[in-house]
Amino acid sequence: MVNVIHFVREWWPVTLVPIGFMVGWYFDRKNDEKLTTFRNKSKLFQRELKPGEEVTWR
Amino acid sequence: MLKILLATAMLIPTALLIKPKHLFTTTSAYAMLITFLMLKWFEQPLNHKPHSTNTLMMLDNITTPLTTMSAWILPLMIIASQHHLVTEPVNRKRMFLATCATLQTTLIMTFTTTDLTMFYIMFEMTLVPTLILITRWGSQAERLNAGMYFLFYTLTGSLPLLIAILHLYVSNGHTTMLLLAMQNTLTPNMTMIMWLACMMAFMVKMPLYGLHLWLPKAHVEAPIAGSMILAAVLLKLGGYGIIRMIPLAPQMTQTMYFPFIVLSLWGMIMTSLICLRQTDLKSIIAYSSVSHMGLVIAATLINTPWSTAGAMILMIAHGLTSSLLFCLANTNYERTHTRTLLLTQGLLFILPLMTMWWLVASLMNMALPPTINLLGELMILSSLFNWNTTTIILTATTTLITATYSLYIFITTQRGTPLPNKVLTPTHTREHLLMTLHLVPLTLLITNPALMF
Repeated sequence: MVNVIHFVREWWPVTLVPIGFMVGWYFDRKNDEKLTTFRNKSKLFQRELKPGEEVTWR
Repeated sequence: MLKILLATAMLIPTALLIKPKHLFTTTSAYAMLITFLMLKWFEQPLNHKPHSTNTLMMLDNITTPLTTMSAWILPLMIIASQHHLVTEPVNRKRMFLATCATLQTTLIMTFTTTDLTMFYIMFEMTLVPTLILITRWGSQAERLNAGMYFLFYTLTGSLPLLIAILHLYVSNGHTTMLLLAMQNTLTPNMTMIMWLACMMAFMVKMPLYGLHLWLPKAHVEAPIAGSMILAAVLLKLGGYGIIRMIPLAPQMTQTMYFPFIVLSLWGMIMTSLICLRQTDLKSIIAYSSVSHMGLVIAATLINTPWSTAGAMILMIAHGLTSSLLFCLANTNYERTHTRTLLLTQGLLFILPLMTMWWLVASLMNMALPPTINLLGELMILSSLFNWNTTTIILTATTTLITATYSLYIFITTQRGTPLPNKVLTPTHTREHLLMTLHLVPLTLLITNPALMF
């Protein structure tokens, strides 16, 4: 138990960069979703999807 | 993109909070890891311009190589500074690393932003950590003077840019670079003033011959990390700015570029000649930077696809080569405590392996095949020749003088008799790693130069 607490106290700042990466990933993803909201809905790119096709463009 | 940016920003608290015994290992390992993650950007189809966007930032074929290079330099700065910081108390080491991480964060934002106002703010933001690096960790009293020159040259040069950006905002209602290239509502006279105002900031930053006097001072007085980032990335901000600004007024560039190209080509010869009569090792490398950047200015201003590609390649090549030369100069300085060439002769007999690095670095600096330096110079030289045949006289002379002073550095430091009563410590694995990490991208990139433009 003491070892775990010692380990955490020693190394917790190491998690900061991965946390930054994860937060960035979340916001990147959210932004991508925002940009693809109207995918396959506009008049220009609207069409019947082929079987097995998920979206008109990525 | 935010993945990389936020991870880099989190290096700042990491450097401030981590236990002292893990300080250097953790920060350099994370900085290197972030660089490797960044390499994924090259996997994107770079001919899609821009290939990755969000509302504020974008990545394209100009941004990606420069950002990756600045990220590559950060771990190398940390590795290079370890001996310099060994006597400092731990809090100052933390502050140093946090300053480097701040600089890196602002640089990524400068290179990736799509908005001119944001670009300007970040362009100025990079001055602050660099000024702190120079004036706090430089080794002589002259560093304060050098910091002042650095700050005021850049600030004065970029004030017209701020006014120009504000004017663009008033006349267009936005300052997005991509849209401004498509709509131009300015009168011809106004465009001329705007062009001058926009370019002046970058000409000072590059620097153009005549506006370059801050650079040798800043490079010489800065600590090794400061010299590395100045030579490798901050000068390239100027080239990046010119490449970004030209689409805003392409016709005006055709009217205005002549005096600037003449000055940059003439400056190349002048600064190369100045290199030949310097006594200070770091000063030679600094003037060599001015000379190489002259070629980049000329190439970006004539603005043909070949010349812009050549400018990009030369910027990457010069960034890594000059950083390598500064690192080598620093290994000498750490042992002999002097930068004077006459006092550091005959190192071949004392540090033979270091001589090999010096030789390779000198050959890279004079652009020998198969380096990307050669590729960049060839592309620029041939596009300049195509623009005007007379330029070959100036560019060829510069190439000749560059070879001369590169060999002059090599011969004066490595040959001759070493001064007696000097006890020099042997080289460290850390230093060899540092040189290798500079040379690996330089030699590997020649296998696929299309990554850089």
